[in-house]
Amino acid sequence: MTTKSWRDLQSMHRACTIVVETLDALAEAAVAGTTTKELDTLSRERIVKAGAIPAFLGYRGYPATLCISLNNEVVHGIPSAKRKLKDGDLVSLDLGCIVDGFYGDAARTVAVGKVSPEAQRLMKATEESLHAGIAQCQPAKRVGDIGAAVQGVAEGYGYSVVREFVGHGIGTSLHEDPQVPNYGPAGRRERLVPGMCLAIEPMVNVGRPDVRVLEDGWTAVTVDGSLSAHFELSLAITRHGPWILSEPYPYGKETEKEAAVHA
Amino acid sequence: MPEGSEARPEPLVVNGRVLETLPNALFRVELETERRQEITAHVSGSSSLLRILPGEAVVVELMAYDPGRGRIVRRR
Repeated sequence: MTTKSWRDLQSMHRACTIVVETLDALAEAAVAGTTTKELDTLSRERIVKAGAIPAFLGYRGYPATLCISLNNEVVHGIPSAKRKLKDGDLVSLDLGCIVDGFYGDAARTVAVGKVSPEAQRLMKATEESLHAGIAQCQPAKRVGDIGAAVQGVAEGYGYSVVREFVGHGIGTSLHEDPQVPNYGPAGRRERLVPGMCLAIEPMVNVGRPDVRVLEDGWTAVTVDGSLSAHFELSLAITRHGPWILSEPYPYGKETEKEAAVHA
Repeated sequence: MPEGSEARPEPLVVNGRVLETLPNALFRVELETERRQEITAHVSGSSSLLRILPGEAVVVELMAYDPGRGRIVRRR
């Protein structure tokens, strides 16, 4: 685990902002008839145009800029020119980029056209669980508090959280220590300190939590075939609480900024 | 992009042969791998498996934590 300086966080803020703005564009472009490859191309063009580097392309051999996972696919779906979005699809978009050597990572699930009420409820539950996790990101709390909060919300809706994949520290690598599971118990695991950066990313299934990875070595699907959603944001722990790095610094006071990330 | 969790490592499943029985329901097992390692293994689950005799062919699960230890999951 490394803590970041205020200067490091400026780069992470830029990286995360580019990722989230690209996700906005992707969400608009995700209409019936679009191929998943077209969205991948769009994401790569936007990231490069913004002066950043795609973070996933080539990461452990991953072949694309974007992860795009439909319906019962949980995460790590590989874009394909043969695959068209259709009305009613639930589409998880996961994207990362590098600015000045610092990584930004974010994801969200969007609906193509009109989706089932269950799919809408799942998206709401997953996003809500992410924000419940973020609310725990106060100095002196622990990583287990985040997981317990996420799990509490998701299971409160009657859904389940995926265990095989977890959130992670982020910084000069895509995945740094600590691992951030989306389940409890509270009060366990690493202590949160100012300057720490985490990517929190609940993956929530309507049915059972179990997932398996397809033959392509990447695409994770729910074992029972149920719908799955995925929301992710990268944030920094500051003395005042969480700073979601794709948003402006929320705690004002220019002069105190440097101190905000010193433990 | 989520990271694969380290919390649930998959056990490595290999074939082995029991060499001798040890006290405390432990067994010395030779693995049928290229390197012919010997490990100490305990028995998973029901006690009916406790009557494993030297020479029996078994299936063993290994965890990364301690490569010298294993768990006999069944006969074969």
